[in-house]
Formats: sequence, C-alpha cells, structure tokens
Amino acid sequence: MYFLASLLNRIIFSLVILRFLTSDFMMDLGLLPERDADMIMVEGTSQLCNDLLVDPQDVVMLVISWHMKAATMCEFTRQEFFDGLQSIGVDSIEKLREKLPSLRAEIKDDHKFREIYNFAFAWAREKGQKSLALETAIGMWRLLFDGRHWPLIDHWCQFLQVKHNKAISRDTWSQLLEFVKTIDPQLTNYDEEGAWPYLIDEFVEYLTENGCVQRRK
Amino acid sequence: MSGGGPPRKRNFKIEAFKHRVELDPKYAERTWKVLEHAIHEIYNHNASGLSFEELYRSAYNMVLHKYGEKLYTGLQSTMTWRLKEISKSIEAAQGGLFLEELNAKWMDHNKALQMIRDILMYMDRTYVPTSHKTPVHELGLNLWRDHIIHYDMIHDRLLHTLLDIIHRERMGEVINRGLMRSITKMLMDLGPVVYQDDFEKPFLEVSASFYSGESQEFIECCDCGNYLKKAERRLNEEMERVSHYLDAGSDAKITSVVEKEMIANHMHRLVHMENSGLVNMLVDDKYEDLGRMYTLFRRVPDGLSTIRDMMTSYLRETGKQLVTDPERLKDPVEFVQCLLNEKDKHDKIIHVAFGNDKTFQNALNSSFEFFINLNNRSPEFISLYVDDKLRKGLKGATEEDVEAILDKVMMLFRYLQEKDVFEKYYKQHLAKRLLSSKTVSDDAERSMIVKLKTECGYQFTSKLEGMFTDMKTSQDTMRDFYAKKSEELGDGPTLDVHILTTGSWPTQPSPPCSLPPEILAVCEKFRAYYLGTHNGRRLTWQTNMGTADIKATFGKGQKHELNVSTYQMCILMLFNSADGLTYKDIEQGTEIPAVDLKRCLQSLACVKGKNVLRKEPMSKDISEDDTFYFNDKFTSKLVKVKIGTVVAQKESEPEKQETRQRVEEDRKPQIEAAIVRIMKSRRVLDHNSIVAEVTKQLQARFLPNPVIIKKRIESLIEREFLERDKADRKLYRYLA
Repeated sequence: MYFLASLLNRIIFSLVILRFLTSDFMMDLGLLPERDADMIMVEGTSQLCNDLLVDPQDVVMLVISWHMKAATMCEFTRQEFFDGLQSIGVDSIEKLREKLPSLRAEIKDDHKFREIYNFAFAWAREKGQKSLALETAIGMWRLLFDGRHWPLIDHWCQFLQVKHNKAISRDTWSQLLEFVKTIDPQLTNYDEEGAWPYLIDEFVEYLTENGCVQRRK
Repeated sequence: MSGGGPPRKRNFKIEAFKHRVELDPKYAERTWKVLEHAIHEIYNHNASGLSFEELYRSAYNMVLHKYGEKLYTGLQSTMTWRLKEISKSIEAAQGGLFLEELNAKWMDHNKALQMIRDILMYMDRTYVPTSHKTPVHELGLNLWRDHIIHYDMIHDRLLHTLLDIIHRERMGEVINRGLMRSITKMLMDLGPVVYQDDFEKPFLEVSASFYSGESQEFIECCDCGNYLKKAERRLNEEMERVSHYLDAGSDAKITSVVEKEMIANHMHRLVHMENSGLVNMLVDDKYEDLGRMYTLFRRVPDGLSTIRDMMTSYLRETGKQLVTDPERLKDPVEFVQCLLNEKDKHDKIIHVAFGNDKTFQNALNSSFEFFINLNNRSPEFISLYVDDKLRKGLKGATEEDVEAILDKVMMLFRYLQEKDVFEKYYKQHLAKRLLSSKTVSDDAERSMIVKLKTECGYQFTSKLEGMFTDMKTSQDTMRDFYAKKSEELGDGPTLDVHILTTGSWPTQPSPPCSLPPEILAVCEKFRAYYLGTHNGRRLTWQTNMGTADIKATFGKGQKHELNVSTYQMCILMLFNSADGLTYKDIEQGTEIPAVDLKRCLQSLACVKGKNVLRKEPMSKDISEDDTFYFNDKFTSKLVKVKIGTVVAQKESEPEKQETRQRVEEDRKPQIEAAIVRIMKSRRVLDHNSIVAEVTKQLQARFLPNPVIIKKRIESLIEREFLERDKADRKLYRYLA
C-alpha cells in the first residue's frame, strides 16, 4: 500500500519532465521519442511496469533497480538503465520479462538479499535527505520481509508508528537486518549489551511491556 | 726431628692400673642400700644428717663399676614407692586442704629431687646419656605426673578443685591466688602438654559454657551499653587472672573464649537492640558506649563490619527520609544546614569513638553520596545555601569562620553526582548577588570560587571569574563615564550600568521594556559613550535584571525612597502623569511581558507595607480588568522601602523543568566531545568500553546515562564521525 501511495504522490506532486532515451530500443518500448531525453521518470517507470506486466509494487522492480544501481526510486538515467540491462544479461523487453522469475528469486539468496536490502535505503530516500521517511521505510520493510517471513514485522511497524514517528537513520536500517537475521522471534538471545541501536532497544522494551515476548530480566 | 726414618720407640709406656678394683656385688648392694636410705631420709626431711660427699662418691663408684643400671632402676622404684605413699596422704586431705597438701608435697618433692640429682650427678652425666635413659630431674617430674597427677583419685579432684576456685572468684569471692599460681606452675613444669590436657582444655570448655550462660542472662536483662560494660569487665578480669596465676600462653585462648561467647555470639542482637542499640547510641551521641563497642567488636571477626553495615544502613535510611520529606524541603537553606549538621555529628562520632577509622569514614561518605543524590534538587539547594551565607549569613564572621563554613559546603559538593547542575544554579545565584550588590564579602566570594576551581578545575570557574571581572570593569567604566560626561548629564537621573559579557552570565533573553524618557535619555548617552570607546560591540539593555531607587512624595507630604526593580520603576513613573491607570494602559505604556507585569503589580499593590499603588477591585490577584491608583495614603515606618528585589529563591516547578532541560541539552555536546576524544585516540573500540570510558571522563561533572551515550554514538555515526566495524557490529571505528 505504502509503496503505491508514494508512487501516486510522486505522480501528483512532482514536475514530470518527460525526456526519454533516443534509440530504436526505446521506440520499441513505445515511449515517446522526444529528442535529447536521457531520464526515465515516474510516468516512464509506470509504463515500463505495464510492459513488463508487473505491478509497480512488485519487489522485482526493486531488484531491477538494484541491478541498475539506480540512485532514486522511479528514476533511471540512461547510463543506469543500459548498464543494468547488461548486468541482468538481456537486450529486449521480452527477455527482461522472461527473466522476471529468476530476478524475483534473487531475494531468496542471503547474500544478494543483504545487498538489495542495504541498497534500498538510499534508493527509497527523498533526494537530498539523510534519513528515510517513516512511511516509506515501513512500506519498504513490508515489501522486503514479506518473502522472508519475519514474524515480528507487524509489531515492528506498529511500534514505529506509535512510539517513534520520526525518520529512520541508515544505521538503524542496516542494523535491523542484523537483528532479523540473528535474534530469534522470542528474543531469547537478545543481549542488552549488544550495542543495538537505541530504537531496537526500545522495540524490545515495547514487546516486553505488551507481553508479546517473555523475557527473563 | 733430625734425619729421616720412623720415630724411635721410647722405652717407657703409661699403662692403666694393673691391679683391678673389682667391686664385690655385695658391695654394690650395700652401696645401693645406703643410697636408698638416703633418698628416704631426704623425703623424710632428714637430709641434714647426711653426708653429701659420701653419697656422691657411693653413686659415683656404682656407676664406675658398671652398676649404673642397678642404681637407676633402684632410684626409679624407690621414688615410685615414695610417691605412692605421698599420693595417699594427698588423697586423704579434706576439702580446702587438698590443694595445700598437694602443693606442699610438690615443694618437698622438688627439693628432694634437687638433692637426689646432685647426689646422682655422675650417673646423670654418664650412664644416663649412654643408656638413653631419662635424666634424673625429668624422671622425677614424670614420676610425679604419673603417680600423683594422673592418679585417678587425685586427677579429677585436682581439676575440679581448680575449676571450682576459678568459678568462685568469677562469682566475686576472694581466693588464694598464690596457691593457684603454684599449682599451675607445677603443671607447666610437668610439661606444657600436662598443663594443656589436664587443666587448660577443660578450663577453656568450662569457661565457654560459663560465659555462654552469663552472656545469655545479661542480654536478657541489660541494655546494650550496660552489657558492653559487663563484657569489658569480664574480659579485663580474665586477662588479670592469667597474669596472676595462669600461664601466659592461656591469655590469648581465654580471651578469645570470652570474645566469642560474650561478643561474637551476640553481635547482631546487641547492635539491633531496641532503645539502646547502635542506632540509639548514634542518635544520642553516646561517645563512651560507642567507643566501648568499637574496641570490643574490633576483637572479633566481622565485628567492625557489623557496626559499619548497621551504621551505613541507618545513615542511608535517615538520609533518604530527610531528602524526600516535603516539609524539610520547603526551606532549602534549612535543609542544607540539616545535612551539614548530620555530617558534623557523625564526623565527631567517628573521631571520638571510632578512632578516626578510615573504613568508617568511607562508609559515611558513601552513605551521604547515596542519599544526597536521591533528590535531584540537591545541587540547587546547596547553591541556595551558599547564596544565603554569602548574602547575609556570614555577616560579621571572621575569616576563619568563613573558611570553615565554605569548606564544609565543599564536602557536600563533592558528594554531588550532578555537579554541572550545581554550576548552572551557582551561576544564576551569583549573578543575582552581584547585580544587586548583595554580597557580604568579596573575599568570601573569591574564596568559594577558588575552592571550586581546586576541586573541579579551571573550566568550571572560568565563567564565574568572568562575571567578577565584568563587575570590576563596569565600575571603572562608570567612573570614567561620569568623569568625562558630568557636565553633559547635569541633573538627570544617576545611572549605574553593569556591562555583562554574554556567555559568562546566565542567559535570560527578554525584550527590553519601554523606559521612561528621562531614563532613556541618559541610557542613550551612555550607550554612545561606550560604543565610542568599544568599537564593534553590541549592547542590549537587560531591563528584567535592573533596580532603581526613586524618591516618592505621598499625600501628607511623607517622603520615601523606594528601592524597586526596573520594571516597577517604569510602572511607577507612569503615575507621574496620571493618578489612575488600567492594567491595559500600563501594559501598553511599559511593554513589560504579561507574566512579569502581573508579578510586579502584585508586589506594588497587594503587599501590606509596600502598597504604593492601590488596586480596584481589592482582590488578591491581578486581573486584566483591574485599575491602579497612586496610593496617597501609603505609610511606612521606614524611610527607605524595599519593594522589588531580585533575590535568588527556590525555583518553581516549571522553572525547574526548564533548567533541567537546559542542563540535558548542555550535556549532549559534552558527551559527544568525550566520545570523539576517546575514539580519536583508540581508533577502534567496542560499545561497552566506550560507555565505561565516557562515564569515567565525565564523572567529575555528572553521571551520563548509557542510553544517552548510545544515542550520541548513533548521531555521530549519522554524521560520519564513526562507523560500525564491518565484521563485528559491536565495534566502532573512528573515521578521520
């Protein structure tokens, strides 16, 4: 929901300068063949999704963006786009479409997931900001942990909205992954002295107070 | 020797007697009989009839002619027979004579033994060692031991008699100490083992049960002080007993029995005794009892720690009650005086009764540190106490008194964990003192600063010193101003400006109010003069911090001089052009912020004796619909009336919150600076070590909260001063 919402927000509020890549390839894509275009922006991305027959919310868009090393969500420079397609190993929309399942599967790979996860922070950020807006972060987390089954994801999102209400720092973002990977859902191996970011400490407190976990104090 | 070759044999030889002196066995028997008879005579006190020389020679001959064994065994059996007879006579002795008889016989035996030994000395020196027999003297003692002391009929009776006598002496009877001495010495002579087994061990056991019983009795009926007196007395008695008639080695043993039974076993009960235990002694300053308890308890393991622990928990409890009692906290100065009194009281106890024992001093310090910090207003209150003293309390005091009081305050200061909070309040209070010129002695002020500097370093006091400098400089500036500009100023109001360097003084930003024109004029002249000599500076009038002296004439012509705050002066000056003004008029005319305006009007119109204004309606509180009139009917016995004062006082709740918030804000950069300093030198460090190091570095000022430290670390990570180690997420790295 959040992902879509922010996508819509950008459609409504951003200045859409439609400048597109000039090439036969792009013409194949059916995008407007304007001269001197070298960015795909929001509408273009939406169009791309249509052509790939994927929901813009689909996590595979994130994976593709990661391959392209896109700097910002819903924006691709010419360089990013072409280098990305090359790294994926395709040269047409059909081939890209065929590749989608294997791209989706990359999420399951631990090593790749870590990279994609850490990439997502800067990618989902507003340009010029240091931290990630809370709503966007929550949306991203839901997207990312959906396939990985972290049982505490709902509690985490709820906790953030009730208690935190501020942007998420990079350190918190990356440390959360460590937390998800190493600490079991009953928090039996959580160590107070473990140098976790204070937000995660507060989360543990929140869980204990609300009886979600039994912790031996 | 001349020439070589073996020495030539001489012609004569020395040979032993050729003719042997064979001793006739009958001769041996006869000789022995003589000696035997002599032994008996000696025991019969008939030694005077004997010839020592003859006897000696007889013994000598026997040994010489190889009859040593006969002599020895004869001696043994004779002595044994003798002693058996003696034992019967001792046994027969009645009652009290038993011991005397034993003693007398022992004396005899010793004398006899000596004589016998002298007679048989040759045997003692030759036959005895070579045949590995017991020497005569020792033999005599052993025989005495075996046949007298260890003789059933005597052994138990002896022990009982001795123990009974000791018991009677303990119960107050006078006994024959000399006799006792003699007996115990006898036992020691027979060998330490005899003394221990046949006397000392039972003695200690009996004593233990005696004192166990007695201590139980005492503790049921005595209070703590009296019990300790009794215990002390008993201890001294026993020591005296030993010195008079027991062996010195028993001293430590009996002492430890008494210590255990009378002290160690009842320590807790004594210390906790209601109405007379340790706590009561402390409260009532019972130095003698406390001293006695200390000396007695020191003798037993954990004795002192028992006292110390009780004292600590008592102090902590009382202290905690003191600092959380709302009644006490109403008057901060009284509160601090209470703390000082408590400290003094206990210092004296430790000095007089506990011999300045360092461990007790430490316990006292840790207790005070504990409870003073339970109340987070302690820093503020201590500063208020100093303020009170420097403002008026130390008036007329000698330099020594001043030093003494300030030193005592410093002791309390050292206990504070949040010294930075104290600094903030001290600055505020000092500012008020300086600006209202309400300090009793400049020297005292300086002395306090010096003490703080010694304790906390230069940084703590640099701003405070800046404040003093500003005052001095302002004086000089005013002098020059009036020297140069006096003609220009003429008859206008006299101005006294304090120029405060921002940063040194506690910040109280507030928009200046609207000054009356006469005042404004002279202020502007000053401003021009100052900026003329100090280029590039910016002056802002702090109208919320000033005072004014104004002359007022009332209805019947009474003249009074009113000492008011600057705000109040602005308000009153308005009444020069109108007799009555509404609240709104005043507000508009002076531009004083509402909260302060209400407070000023309250002190001008609603306080008896100071109501130079009259308010309608006559309600207690100021409302925006009120009207104020110049109070023609104002009277006061004093010519000079003080209305507005900028006195330091306990902060209201919202003010306190604000100060606390500012302190917390100030702490953040200090924590960050500490983190950066540490990481810069260590490069890589784990989380817990950082927290420990930061705490250590800052503890002279305040105790940082580990959660805050963690947040600061994260903030530094965000700003890329630090990063987490890639391999170990608990490690941080410094980013150059």
